[in-house]
Amino acid sequence: MGTTTTDTAIEYRDVCKSYGEKSVLSHLSLKVKRGEFVTMIGSSGSGKTTALKMVNRLLEPTSGTVLVDGRDVRETDPIQLRRNIGYAIQGSVLFPHMTVEDNISYVPNLLNKRDHDRTRKAVHKWMGIVGLPDDLLDRYPSELSGGQQQRVGIARALAASPDILLMDEPFGAVDEITRGQLQAEISRIHRETGITVMFVTHDIGEALRLGTRVLVLDGGTVQQYGTPEEILADPATEFVSQLVSRQRHTCDLPEDQLCACEHSGAARARAALDAR
Amino acid sequence: MPSQIIDLLTQRWDFFQGLLVEHVEICLVAILIAIVFGGVAGILISEYRKAARPTLGVVNFLYTIPSISMLGFLIPFSGIGDATAVIALTIYALLPMVRATYTGMTNVDPAIMEAAKGMGGTRMQTLVRVQLPLAMPVIMSGIRNMVTMTIALGGIASYIGPGGLGVAIYRGITTNNTAMTIVGSLLIALLALVVDAILGFVERRMQMRGQRARRTNRRLAIGAAVVCVAAALGATVPGMLASPSDTIHVATKPMTEQYVMGEALKTLIEHDTNLKVKLTEGVAGGTSNIEAGMESGQFDLYPEYTGTGWAAVLKNKGTYSEDQFDTLQADYKKRLDMSWVGMYGFGNTFGIAVRSDVAQKYNLKTYSDLAKVASQLNLGAEPDFFEREDGYDALCKAYGMSFGKTTEMDAGLKYDALDQGSVDAIIVYTTDGKLSTADAKVLEDDKGFFPSYQCGNVVRNQTLREHPELRTELKKLQGTISQRDMARMNYEVEEKGKDPKAVAREFLKSKGLI
Repeated sequence: MGTTTTDTAIEYRDVCKSYGEKSVLSHLSLKVKRGEFVTMIGSSGSGKTTALKMVNRLLEPTSGTVLVDGRDVRETDPIQLRRNIGYAIQGSVLFPHMTVEDNISYVPNLLNKRDHDRTRKAVHKWMGIVGLPDDLLDRYPSELSGGQQQRVGIARALAASPDILLMDEPFGAVDEITRGQLQAEISRIHRETGITVMFVTHDIGEALRLGTRVLVLDGGTVQQYGTPEEILADPATEFVSQLVSRQRHTCDLPEDQLCACEHSGAARARAALDAR
Repeated sequence: MPSQIIDLLTQRWDFFQGLLVEHVEICLVAILIAIVFGGVAGILISEYRKAARPTLGVVNFLYTIPSISMLGFLIPFSGIGDATAVIALTIYALLPMVRATYTGMTNVDPAIMEAAKGMGGTRMQTLVRVQLPLAMPVIMSGIRNMVTMTIALGGIASYIGPGGLGVAIYRGITTNNTAMTIVGSLLIALLALVVDAILGFVERRMQMRGQRARRTNRRLAIGAAVVCVAAALGATVPGMLASPSDTIHVATKPMTEQYVMGEALKTLIEHDTNLKVKLTEGVAGGTSNIEAGMESGQFDLYPEYTGTGWAAVLKNKGTYSEDQFDTLQADYKKRLDMSWVGMYGFGNTFGIAVRSDVAQKYNLKTYSDLAKVASQLNLGAEPDFFEREDGYDALCKAYGMSFGKTTEMDAGLKYDALDQGSVDAIIVYTTDGKLSTADAKVLEDDKGFFPSYQCGNVVRNQTLREHPELRTELKKLQGTISQRDMARMNYEVEEKGKDPKAVAREFLKSKGLI
């Protein structure tokens, strides 16, 4: 088994999760390759967060198996498992009583208690990677802007250099412009580190833009799992085609040619003005 | 009154300072125990939620026990003294501590807790690094409440022997010294306010962030720790160095004359011998609680009254008269291994006093006269009188009387109650200082109901064997105080506001004993 799964970072095998009568995830089977950036999209209650939390054992499946690096997570020590998996959640939830430095070095401190020098270097490195100046290190989360908080959250999740990063709507609470910047950052970090990312979102634009693969979930079942191109070109179900209809109709002509396409919003607006 | 209070404070500052230190010590021990145990219990029940309800139920129940009965329950187990006071205060301090910790711990944002868990912290790491610091503001406000409450309650705990400012309050009440009561209360209030202000400062410092504030906090914390350790050493080391075996533990009942006798005993013994005397003054509950302390060896001697020893201690039937003294002495030796040494020469017998207008209205002279109209009157007496074998029930039976109403009150309040008309008759002691000035008539015990109550010292024989010189000292007091002398000394303390110690010294000097 070990040899066949070396290039598979995370695998779900017929995973079901239900609370009493209510099923939140049914028969999920899925392989995530190493270095993949999987975005998980669906409306609330679709089971995307549930599936995510099974990777670091914050939740246990009712039936089925979740494997990380080819090992059944139930056979691993949850503490060790979690320390090798970065975790960033909505609003990033920094520890309010700790400085930026203490927040970022939280996991490294859990791992190596004595080696302060190494921890300080790691903090400095990740501050640079997420684009934060070092003079913020002594600040408390309440003294940071929303965007800065998200960056600290990402740095904290990555500080121990994990192989896998789990993100649960990390940019849900920031404005449109900051979100664009953060999306660019996380894409760059993914490219530079080759880390495997699972990213939960309810924004299809974000899912298509960031993901090397997109998982569409609805009511606890997989609607489609494929590259953004596959999703856009061949929506597998009615749900998926509704989800991506706007993106399918988006026209990416350069700015100076926008009015050349008579179906673009810009051309139609121009035509309406000219008709007056 | 304000000038009296200031005089008292300035003249007897040493006395109050000692009580203040004791108060702080007792409360501090209780507070520290409550913080540790209450905090741990609060953390445990926030981890194992199923245990939360029953645990909170139990501490809640303990909290609702009235303090007086709590002390009553504890005395048989832990005796009279510091231990009982600390236990009682700790029990009351637990509820606010457990509840604040539990509330603080369970109200930490679950998203933050999940983030900490998801990042791979063990339960312990998450608890220490995240949950506890975030719960700290709530816990801290709980501690502040608890500390204020404990300091205030510390006054009550002093009723059962240990020191503390409650001693001043209780002594003020029992010796009719209002200024003393007020000073004791004021100092307790002041102590509570000062400590609360200090804790408020600590709370604010803890919420301050930034590197400089943290560095200052660390220095302040180290400074405070050094001061605490120094204070603790200063409080305990001298006590440990002093040899404890040469100390005679003297107890007295909460009565003015017993405060005077206690001081006289201490002064005389320490003047003539190398023995040290530790006075435990005004033990609430009187005979029953002191007797328990005598039997356990906690006390070595105390002034007692023959009739009380006969009926309440030996539980003998029948009315005691002084020609039975040899039997009394023999029984004490045989059953308790204690002796009566140094009979002072005065008797403090019970009597019934009625207000003058009541006496006139019904033309009352004797107890038999009183029996006829008792059903229309309200009798006031100490709780002890209604309890004791030779007390209220026996009196009613002997004279076939029954009072319309009875009121339990503390010895120091009886005469005021009689004067104000809230009771019509009171049980008095024949040496009551206030009796000489009260607008009241003492009735005649025409059937000789009340036994004789001659005052003398009850001493453990073991103590007498270890310190034979003690017997010589106690013998010196034999026959030195007449009934009039005692009433006059009581009057000086109660009405003139003199210090029992000063009155005791004057008395010893007048007899040429010191």
